[in-house]
Amino acid sequence: MPDLEVTDLCVRFAGLAAPALDVPELKVSAGEMLAVVGPSGSGKSTLVNMLTGLDTPARGAILWGRTNIGNLSEAERDHWRGRNVGLVPQDFHLFPGLSAINNVLLPARLARIASRTTVDRAHDLLQAVGLMRPNQPINTMSRGEMQRVAIARALLRQPAIVVADEPTASLDADNGAAVSSLLILLARQTGSTLIVVTHDEALIRLMPRHLVLRNGRIFADRVAEGVLA
Amino acid sequence: MIGLIIADLRRYWVGALMTVALIAMAVALGTAIQLQERSLRLGSARAAEKFDLLIGAPGSEAQLVLSAVFLQPAALPLLGGDVLADLQHDDRVVWAEPIAPGDFYKGFPIIGTTARLVTELAPEFTEGVVFSALDEAVIGAAVDLAMGMTFAPMHGQVEHGEAQHDNVEYRIAGRLSPTGTPWDRAILVPIRSSWKVHGLVQDEDRDSGHDHDETHASGDLDETFVQGQTPDIPAILVKPASIAAAYKLRQDYRANEKTVAVFPAEVLTSLYGLLGDVTAVLSYVALAARILVGVSLIMLAVIHVLQRRHTLSALRALGAPRWSLFALVWGQAIVISICGVVLGQIGGLAAASLISSHIENGQGFSLPVEFASTDLAGTIALLMVAAVFAALPALIAFRQPAATGLRGGG
Repeated sequence: MPDLEVTDLCVRFAGLAAPALDVPELKVSAGEMLAVVGPSGSGKSTLVNMLTGLDTPARGAILWGRTNIGNLSEAERDHWRGRNVGLVPQDFHLFPGLSAINNVLLPARLARIASRTTVDRAHDLLQAVGLMRPNQPINTMSRGEMQRVAIARALLRQPAIVVADEPTASLDADNGAAVSSLLILLARQTGSTLIVVTHDEALIRLMPRHLVLRNGRIFADRVAEGVLA
Repeated sequence: MIGLIIADLRRYWVGALMTVALIAMAVALGTAIQLQERSLRLGSARAAEKFDLLIGAPGSEAQLVLSAVFLQPAALPLLGGDVLADLQHDDRVVWAEPIAPGDFYKGFPIIGTTARLVTELAPEFTEGVVFSALDEAVIGAAVDLAMGMTFAPMHGQVEHGEAQHDNVEYRIAGRLSPTGTPWDRAILVPIRSSWKVHGLVQDEDRDSGHDHDETHASGDLDETFVQGQTPDIPAILVKPASIAAAYKLRQDYRANEKTVAVFPAEVLTSLYGLLGDVTAVLSYVALAARILVGVSLIMLAVIHVLQRRHTLSALRALGAPRWSLFALVWGQAIVISICGVVLGQIGGLAAASLISSHIENGQGFSLPVEFASTDLAGTIALLMVAAVFAALPALIAFRQPAATGLRGGG
């Protein structure tokens, strides 16, 4: 599992004088769990895009282990992300025409890496997230169930890094709490580094480290007391 | 990938169905024109293949062929009956027989001719035999009349309110096997009876004092045509002894001012040229329709991809390679194109068959609607063009930045 080391990261958007993100230094150890918090427009999503290779910075280095993903080509970053990052998007991005199991397997199938072992793991993951009907069509599921499918999909390739973007934003309190616990539990089981962008106070309280962003800068980086790392 | 393509098409089934229908209609238009033109050429060529050389009075060569071969109702100028007698004694001629369209019965044209010509054009009978008396008739395979029934011919078509000839009543003696020509819808009677009905020859029996007020055109069949005693004729069909004889006869009977000689195939060729020009115009219209539909569909596909950019980007963010998104969009476009083109070909075939069937019912000659091997090449070319243009929306999907997908609507 790779450590993360960010140095001198600067992201600018056209038309804006101030940088969207300015992070002189950030280190995250392998297997660590980090909540990225802050008001809207503080640079949370921009940071996640940079850390997952979805976008590249104007300046700076993002080192996952010995790989500086800022230096990779787009295709290389896609390949690296596919192998190392499990994403849980806010809006699930599940395909309504497919079943739960097929949604979990979809990225792997599109990348042509869905082996028998992968299919077995997808079934195991659906069971682990509490979904006992793998062939249930997505459009018959509740939002809480959909988010569980999205979590199973993110963990399918046993990623070293799991990034969840507002995973509880569209869920009610009970479902949000269940999904939060599940995400942390599964990440802990696989030893993955977990980075969660969230406004959910309940979820923040479960995370051992909090990175607070304001105006594109790190306002605070603190370890929560009493939370098991 | 195929599963995802099908699932995605099922999700947007209304749009996919409408797109398929649009492609099918554009393809069907072109296919129908192409098949119809080919069937007209094929059908007319087959209908005329037994008509080697036609001789008529000076006038429109096309009209001569249309009236004598395709039995189109139009008055032909008459040529002297002596020409027939001359031809029957010409060494270069195997046989020469008259064709005299004129009357009708229940919309079926009545053709005055000889037993020889009947058996030459349609050697087999499904029922009965060729006429052997002046008041007997033979009907084509598509004539909906019963064997043995009698009828009086109408001068002109019934719907035109023309008068019935009271001086003859024909009895149907035989029904010809199908020939796939307009003659399947014809009623064939001895030409001498036609002449009698129209008062062109003297009734010998009447001259001898017998009373035949009801059936003047009765009596034994006489198919000898003598110089000076043969009435004028609309057309003569000639079977030349050889190709050289055919050309010589054509030359001879074109050289004088009283006759014109044509090879129906030659006239058809010039008509095909005209047909070809019309077809070319229609084909350009069909091509323009295809281009318009194609451009519209590309624009629709581009809009569809742009509307789904979040989903496509999300797939990339989740680890799907860019080429897989290209393949997804391209595959959907190809599936829709194949469905549209195949349905269009079937629709075009159905439309052409329907038109042919309508013409067959009206004109009596068969118009075979069939695909040729060149059509397969055309279809493949069309799909290849579709494949190339489908790459445009696929390329947009390919170039969609992955970061777009993490947030936003699905």
